[in-house]
Amino acid sequence: MKTTVLLSAARHPVSGREALARLEAQAIALATRLGGDIRGLHAGPESDALREALGVGLSKIDRIDAPNGSDPMEDLASHLRAAGPDLILAGRRGQGGLDSGLLPYRLAERLGLTLVADAIAIEAGSEAGTVRIDQALKKGDRRRVTVRLPVIVTVHPLAPPPAAFAYGAARRGMISTHPVNDPIRQEGQGSEWEERPYRNRPKLMRTASASSGDAAEKLFVDPDPKEAARLILDYLERNGIRQF
Amino acid sequence: MTAASLLPLLVLAMIVVAGVQIGRRALLWRSGSFADVDWVAGVKALPKRYLVDVHHVVDRDKSASRMHVPVAAGLVGSAGLLVLGLVPGIAGSRIYWAVVALAFAVMAAGVVLVARRRYPRAMPRLSLGRYQRTPVYLGLFAGGGLLCALLASFGDPLPFFSFLGLILAAAGGLALAAQAATGPMRHALAGAAHLALHPRPERFDERLPKGRATGLKPIDLDAAKLGREEPADFAWNRLLSFDACIQCGRCEAACPAFAAGQPLSPKHLIADLAAASGGGHASAYAGNPYPNERSVAREGGLHHAVIGTGGMVHPDTIWSCTTCRACVEECPMMIEHVDSIVDLRRYQTLEHGAVPGKGADILDNSRLTDEPNGHDVATRTDFAAGLDLKRLDDGARTDVLLWMGQAAFDMRGQRTLRALIKLLKEAKVDFAVLGEERDCGDLARRLGDEATFQRLARANIGALSKVGFQRILTADPHALHTLRNEYPAFGGDYEVVHHTAFLNDLVASGRLSPARLTGAAITYHDPCYLGRYNGEFDAPRALLDALGLERREMARSKRKSMCCGGGGGAPIADIPGDNRIPDLRMEQVRQTGAATVAVACPQCTAMLEGVTGDRAEVRDVAELLLDAVEAGRGEKAKTEARAREVETA
Repeated sequence: MKTTVLLSAARHPVSGREALARLEAQAIALATRLGGDIRGLHAGPESDALREALGVGLSKIDRIDAPNGSDPMEDLASHLRAAGPDLILAGRRGQGGLDSGLLPYRLAERLGLTLVADAIAIEAGSEAGTVRIDQALKKGDRRRVTVRLPVIVTVHPLAPPPAAFAYGAARRGMISTHPVNDPIRQEGQGSEWEERPYRNRPKLMRTASASSGDAAEKLFVDPDPKEAARLILDYLERNGIRQF
Repeated sequence: MTAASLLPLLVLAMIVVAGVQIGRRALLWRSGSFADVDWVAGVKALPKRYLVDVHHVVDRDKSASRMHVPVAAGLVGSAGLLVLGLVPGIAGSRIYWAVVALAFAVMAAGVVLVARRRYPRAMPRLSLGRYQRTPVYLGLFAGGGLLCALLASFGDPLPFFSFLGLILAAAGGLALAAQAATGPMRHALAGAAHLALHPRPERFDERLPKGRATGLKPIDLDAAKLGREEPADFAWNRLLSFDACIQCGRCEAACPAFAAGQPLSPKHLIADLAAASGGGHASAYAGNPYPNERSVAREGGLHHAVIGTGGMVHPDTIWSCTTCRACVEECPMMIEHVDSIVDLRRYQTLEHGAVPGKGADILDNSRLTDEPNGHDVATRTDFAAGLDLKRLDDGARTDVLLWMGQAAFDMRGQRTLRALIKLLKEAKVDFAVLGEERDCGDLARRLGDEATFQRLARANIGALSKVGFQRILTADPHALHTLRNEYPAFGGDYEVVHHTAFLNDLVASGRLSPARLTGAAITYHDPCYLGRYNGEFDAPRALLDALGLERREMARSKRKSMCCGGGGGAPIADIPGDNRIPDLRMEQVRQTGAATVAVACPQCTAMLEGVTGDRAEVRDVAELLLDAVEAGRGEKAKTEARAREVETA
């Protein structure tokens, strides 16, 4: 089985230094447990985070030499199409400046692959060419799905903790650099993102006011207590909260 | 031919047998890695190191020195004299035989003292097995030799008894020689060689400060293998040092982890390391087992991993160590246990990331935020809000640079630091802190992460080179030791002073005037990294005495002080035992009857304050001094007020 772990340009939440996102370290641990040929994939300039990834279990990383701040989606898609991994692992959310957390979904759409979100365990399925994935759902629920490869899987924080960093392993690991395929993009296209100073926005709350049409019939000012009780009971019954 | 005339030949036979055995051992030592050793200086210094340094340690246990002096002197003396007897003509002299008999008699007297340590019941820290049989062989050799030589000095009137003596001496002597490679007697030759070729020759030089010989040595991070995995990775003189062990067990008796039932005995570990290179124990290890021993395969070899369930030693053993150096301090053979433990840890951490407990988190934080607990180093001075703490910008100067250390992020440590800062202000000391102080790297280094330590050390040295100061003041002995003794290897030479010494100077020079405190007695707990590591025992005591409180000493104090359990990353690894080390130490505090235990280290404070139940109050020396100074200010104000009243009246 060929596995590729996507490595983002994450930053450490305290120091702001280039660092491996914990979710990606957990993804490496899941991939290691599954076995097979495991490679990391990163699009962007050289980063200390890649050494970190080598220190927690990866031995090979492919780096696409994309300019800083560019959208890595096309580069990753064309590399993955050529490499053809069975399993692509990514974190479920970004931890860097421009990371939106949407990349796995956009890749899945682009490559026409199935995406399984929030994995906490992955093991080989009983049938060849399938994997069994445990997903973490809300309120501690778990769901086990069996999917046919290839597939993109995002990793949930409840997945097993990552391996501890080993300096010797980080030193031994190989990072191979690949040029950007698309010559136009190589020149560094401007990002479609726009940077604006942060502004506090008012909280959105549904408010009822006498002037708005729909709310008007629900607003009663200083009603008779008995009338108020009847209105409340009507409302509860109408909405199926209280039933006779 | 008389029996006595065969004695010299017996000694020659013993020398040959022992030589062959030791030679086989020396071949193993040669498979160790390179070590830079000054042979000439070492051999020259050997007599002094043996007669002064070793004797000082041996003499701390009188029963050992009283037994060792006659046995060793008698054995070496009689053997030497007998070799001399090979010179034609000498062996014919009755006076010669009388002298030989005297040497044997001295040895025999020593053997009686050896036997009294082991029979009818051996002291608990001693190893049994072969070690228990050694006095028998020594006794046979001494007794037989004495009988034979004594008869020869009378002209050999009873040939039968002479031959009987010769046979006894031959049995004992050859048994001793046959075990010269793996048995107890190997400590003699390996020990002498170890003294001459010691990996830390600086520890024998009294002119150097103690700390110079206790700092860990850096490793080359570009080496093929980081740390020590198998016996062949150790420097050859380290392999030699393991063979110097005589298994006297003083290290074990002093080891806090052993006392707390954690699976560490320094003696057992050194015996295992010595046995590992030869492929396992030649005869079963006969000392106390590791407490709560974890099972391992006990398989060894020059190229077999030492640590691991498939090796000689379980990983929990090396992670139980608090690096308190009590074992090193006690070892009469001058073995450096802590160095080897850290070397083994380095391999586990750097090559495998195999740090137990919270170690991985601590090292991740140290690597990514420069602070073991993941705090933002820019917030280190937050605790001192309102204290008007001066921060040094690049290029600025100050007299004293205050190194705050990890205590700045711990609420208990902050109380101590605030007391210290108030005292410095009171004494009008010109001091400041670094704008951004990274962790000194002590914890990372002792957890085996040399890469992170070296990075932090270089970053700190870079930051320190941008500001001007006379000396560094710190309330943390771990930071003190690291900055003072471990940074010079990276180009950072600083005068570093501990707050107890600094405050003591301020009081002695009258810049602080503490009132005499009244109250219950006090005892002082020596931090390992201040006391044993740096030899500073007196300043904190002088300071406490200046406060006027009755000071009681614990049975284990100064050089023999027991660790609080907080050093070397031991609380991080958190290897379970039967007890907690700080509980044991607090019990020793209780035995003094003191109501307060004065401490001088944030680690000790945290560990001792973590003891539950009814216990002595834990106060840092700086806090006690601040109490006294504030009381003094109150008195001064009172006397001034009274003086004013008198004036107005």
